[in-house]
Amino acid sequence: MVGELASGPFLDADGMKALGAALAITVTGLASAWAEKEIGTAAIGAMAENEGLFGKGLILTVIPETIVIFGLVVALLINSA
Amino acid sequence: MSRPKEMTRAVIVGHKSILKQTIDSLHDTNLFHIEDFVEDESGFKISKPLKNAEEVSKKLVKIRSIANYLGIVNKEPVVQKTDSVLRDLDSKLDELDKAIASKTEAIAQLDNELKDLDSQKRELMPYLAINLDFDDYRGYESLKVFAGTVKGNLDGSQISSITKAYELYFDPQSKAVVLFVAKSDADKVYELLQGLGFRELRVPERGGVPSELLRFIEQKEAEVTRKIESLRNEIESLKAKYADFILASDEILSIESQKAELPLRIATSANAFIIEGWTPTEDYDKVVSAVNSATNGKAYVTSLEIDEEEEEHVPVEYNNSKIAAPMQQIMDLYSRPKYTELDPSSVILITFPLMYGLILGDIGYALILGAIALAVKKAVKSDAVKPLMDILIYCQISTFIFGIIYGEFLGFSLASLHTAHGVVPGLIPGWETIVLFEGLGGEEFTFPIHRTHMVMTMIAATVTIGLLQLNLGFLLGFANISRHHGMKHAVLEKGSWLVIELGALVAAIGYLNGNSGLTYVGAGILVLGIAMLTMGEGIKGPIELPSLMGNALSYARIIAVGLSSIYIASTVNDIAFKMIWADHSKISFVAIAAILVFILGHALNTVLSIIAPGLHALRLQYVEFFGKFYEGGGRKYNPFGYIRKYTEE
Repeated sequence: MVGELASGPFLDADGMKALGAALAITVTGLASAWAEKEIGTAAIGAMAENEGLFGKGLILTVIPETIVIFGLVVALLINSA
Repeated sequence: MSRPKEMTRAVIVGHKSILKQTIDSLHDTNLFHIEDFVEDESGFKISKPLKNAEEVSKKLVKIRSIANYLGIVNKEPVVQKTDSVLRDLDSKLDELDKAIASKTEAIAQLDNELKDLDSQKRELMPYLAINLDFDDYRGYESLKVFAGTVKGNLDGSQISSITKAYELYFDPQSKAVVLFVAKSDADKVYELLQGLGFRELRVPERGGVPSELLRFIEQKEAEVTRKIESLRNEIESLKAKYADFILASDEILSIESQKAELPLRIATSANAFIIEGWTPTEDYDKVVSAVNSATNGKAYVTSLEIDEEEEEHVPVEYNNSKIAAPMQQIMDLYSRPKYTELDPSSVILITFPLMYGLILGDIGYALILGAIALAVKKAVKSDAVKPLMDILIYCQISTFIFGIIYGEFLGFSLASLHTAHGVVPGLIPGWETIVLFEGLGGEEFTFPIHRTHMVMTMIAATVTIGLLQLNLGFLLGFANISRHHGMKHAVLEKGSWLVIELGALVAAIGYLNGNSGLTYVGAGILVLGIAMLTMGEGIKGPIELPSLMGNALSYARIIAVGLSSIYIASTVNDIAFKMIWADHSKISFVAIAAILVFILGHALNTVLSIIAPGLHALRLQYVEFFGKFYEGGGRKYNPFGYIRKYTEE
């Protein structure tokens, strides 16, 4: 089993593709999370002052989610290519 | 598509002697949004509150503090006559106030007593094991008594090295020590005790044996606790008895105080008053006749022209059918439309559930969530919850329809699927998947749509749906602008986007078909569109161009979030079914565990099925759709009046 693995290339084309797709999702996911963290903190602070800002806060908080959606699209494109 | 209700600006002028009647009649109609008067150079001043204002607010404060103390909450209203409540108000309020004051005072006293008993008890505890009458500790001429605690152990041998004449009581558990020695030996013994970490304790002043005293104190404690309990029960019964009265009088007093304080918001001179405000145009006649009949026509009511600058600040009342009304909650969460804007409630009545259904699309979850929404709507009477449940029901109807289109039930596929590895049977035998046409990336477009097997096609489809909604947004923006700034502005600011899209489309078709002529035509249209946009919006227009692509791609979340929901559901199903088939000999235990996994897993996914599709569908409306045409920021129409719940005239 081990010998079998060792004899082949460390990463073949399919493996590279899978890794690429995984990276696309991971990095964009982290980026979204980071951006949302910053905005979400500020939004909660604003809401503590004025609860009417919930709608606007929600919108601003979810704006960076687009980043990870793009990541997902890229990952799916890589996988189906 | 609707506009906010048309408003009329009205002014009521009269002599101060009819102010009270005017206020009463306006309050009863509950149709007049009063514009607060700001003092200026005109010479008019705001007036003083009506005479009864101080008394009313005093009573209101009292009744609210009582309601707060008793913990009275809104409940199923028992409607009472205003006159009868008003007649008994003073006497009942006094009675209630006195009863509560005496009871709370008694409780406070008893609480103090309880604390006192507790400290006595604590004083006593160290002496309990020694159990010597406290009178025996005092009144000696030649004896010294040490009472306290030590850190280590103490026995007679240590003391007998100093003196033979002693009497020692020591409890090894609590380390309490009582030692009688002759006064002449006291200093030496004290030194010894100090070496052992002696801490003196106060000897209670009362006489008696500790164990008996303790029994006595405990009895007393029980008695006091019982008394407090019964007082609390009496207060509870007061609450039950007076709850309706308190709610009704709170309402009446709130109404009175609103009326009494209105003069603070209007313009008055020495003898006259002016009330300015807004009323829906359809109700203007009602307001006029109400004021006239209350004042015998002595008040002068007239409507004023609204100039264009003022239009932005007109208070906004929605004008939607009953079906679209729940969507107003979603609008208010974002921002109420301005008076000059289109109110998109009836558009998102369709688009919001559509996006939600596109994302979730599962018959099973639609049934579960629909049933929950109906049950909550029935059980909870709150006016804040009902519209939300209505929205949830709309969403579930859409989810059910898409559940049929997707052929999904709790993550199971209802129809069979032909894959490269053979036919996978569906839940409903005989429902075969039909291939309609070729999709993207070698996928087949089928009915029912197996989302997991046609991801690329679905991404393209959802982005197309997104483009359609974005263009609907441009059209609405076009309507808004052409109404207020003319056709030219509308064409340049919003129409230009349509031209740009058309150009891109033509160029793409030309490029794909290898028709270079068509490509150039498309590019020409595209450049024309960008030029129009720059004229309309300035340099910021072209800068925003890439956002169109971003916005459209953002709709890919419809399939992305949908897939995550499917995968959670089918994972739960896989685990549960593998457990059931795993071991036939111990079927009972594993089967129960499998059922648990199934139920808990789907319960989790049900909760996620409200949050994830809800938030994402909402975001698509707020960010992508509203961004194309909606401004918001309208003032709420808030008529002077009160919606009575507990009283009637």
